[in-house]
Amino acid sequence: MKLTHCLALVLSSVLFITNAQANNSESKLVTAIATDKPRIIALAPHIVEMLFDIGAGEQIIAATEHTDYPLAAKKIPRIGSSLRIQLERVIELQPDLVIAWQSGNPSDDLARIKQLGFNVVYSQPDSFEDVAKELRLFGKLSGHSEQAERVAAKFLADLASIKQQYGQKKPLTGFYEVWSRPLTTIAKGSWPQQFLDICSISNPFIEADARYPQVNIEQVLQSHIDIVIQPLSESQTGKDGYDWQKWSILPAVKHQQIITLDADVVHRMTTRSLHALTDLCQQADKSREYYQNSNGT
Amino acid sequence: MSIIRTIKGKNTWVFSGLIIFTLFSIVLSITYGPATITSADIFQCVINECASPMHDMVIWQIRIPRVLVGLAAGMGLACAGAILQNVTRNPLADPYLFGIISGAGLGATIATLVVSDQQSLTLPLAAFLGALFSVVIVFGIATLLRNMNHLLLTGVAVSFMLGSISHFILYLGDPFATNRVIFWLMGSLARVEMFHFYLIGAMVLITLLTIFALHRQIDALLLGDESAASLGVNVDKLRLILLALCAAVTATIVAYCGGIGFVGLMIPHIVRQLVGVTTMPLIIGSALVGGCFLVWVDVAARSALSNVEIPIGIITSAIGSIFFLAIMYRTRKTG
Repeated sequence: MKLTHCLALVLSSVLFITNAQANNSESKLVTAIATDKPRIIALAPHIVEMLFDIGAGEQIIAATEHTDYPLAAKKIPRIGSSLRIQLERVIELQPDLVIAWQSGNPSDDLARIKQLGFNVVYSQPDSFEDVAKELRLFGKLSGHSEQAERVAAKFLADLASIKQQYGQKKPLTGFYEVWSRPLTTIAKGSWPQQFLDICSISNPFIEADARYPQVNIEQVLQSHIDIVIQPLSESQTGKDGYDWQKWSILPAVKHQQIITLDADVVHRMTTRSLHALTDLCQQADKSREYYQNSNGT
Repeated sequence: MSIIRTIKGKNTWVFSGLIIFTLFSIVLSITYGPATITSADIFQCVINECASPMHDMVIWQIRIPRVLVGLAAGMGLACAGAILQNVTRNPLADPYLFGIISGAGLGATIATLVVSDQQSLTLPLAAFLGALFSVVIVFGIATLLRNMNHLLLTGVAVSFMLGSISHFILYLGDPFATNRVIFWLMGSLARVEMFHFYLIGAMVLITLLTIFALHRQIDALLLGDESAASLGVNVDKLRLILLALCAAVTATIVAYCGGIGFVGLMIPHIVRQLVGVTTMPLIIGSALVGGCFLVWVDVAARSALSNVEIPIGIITSAIGSIFFLAIMYRTRKTG
């Protein structure tokens, strides 16, 4: 019992210290940024989108390739891609703040930008709750705290309402197709898995070793798949998706329960992801109704 | 003394031209880059004091290290290629024959997918260790076979073996990390600093000094192993020293610049056309041409497209492949 108390005390102390350090570094950064309206370089499309959401879009002076939302973001100068940042351009633009995507930007470039003396803050939203957290952080850093707070609060309220509406539905088994060649799906810890959890869709590959495992069609055929979820981006055509029609052994194919989503909205960690979440939950609900009415399960 | 004799001989004009072109390349290449800085600004920065901190940062911390590392890496790869071709008497030998690029790639793959923090330190270190690992395996197998002539084939086999392990790890890995490894394997000078120039420069200097000291014995090797041995050259020992030296300089370059193909294979062929096969002029010529070549390829890599950087290995491989097709075409016509 005493040991349990000690462990609890140590753990809570560690958590308190970690939290205090995070808050401390955050406030240090706010102090380091010498201006109310800092000029920002945003190194990922989702960061740009979040900054526009909180009213800081006009402060973005550069972004990376594939930044295409909102429409105004297309005019922002580009300074590289997820593979390489043009350091010379970063220096030339002299930003007050660089917001980088921790897992999506080259770490050696980020280390170099930091070494050159620029203020770098990292974005790594792994869940919907993280999106709200980062909206608030970007609000503080960009001088738009009030608007960021409003957007984050609305985002969390909408999320709670969707969870309440769809969280207790009868589970369906779904296959989520990230890519068709090679056939790739999702597992525990991936960004789209939370969509399936909230919409009461079970994933037969949830326990796979990788977050985005490549699977053999034989493994898929062994599972009883009620729905296939196939996100496609605007630039992709139906040909880019996997051709499921050959596999009528799967209930999802036999009953044509193939759900198409906008990949650019689902896979981007922003407030728009809730639109994709609602869309998926609604389409999954229609499939549930279909199976109930036709006794297809 | 022999360097001066080499330059003073029949190749005086060639070497004078190459030295002037190298100096001209170093100066002119600094004026190219995505940041808008005029030649006058650069001149002011180098001679006196920069007009703005931005100019100071771009010129001294980005461009000059890139140009100098490009020069040193080009020199190192070209010299290693020239020496290997002479030592093995195989015109297709190149610094990557030991499976160095595959070994470095395996090291980089493991570092990227396993260690997510401090990658600016762990990635080059892992790549260097991977490169050395491949060299040790190739040398070990070649020694076991008791036939150094099998080195090239052993290198090819080890390359495929290490490559398949890398691909398997990448296949199981995170897509973003996989992308980064693939880009790293294409080669780039974007991440280099002055420290890397000192390191690569020192390795290249050691290589050059060793070759200058042993150039007569290397020339004897061109006559064949038996002829060299009859002239008092310890063939196996000399070959081992030179191969180890080439492996070390290539591994260092690959660790910091990634996989830059074709330089070590192509440049010595060009230089032979200019100054012949003798070691001293071939090495000095290869160093100058290789250095200039990589400096200008890097200029293209950072300036050709306005928003993105092209991996340097893509450009060297494209030029190299066209060069080889041209050589084959010429051989067909003359042969």
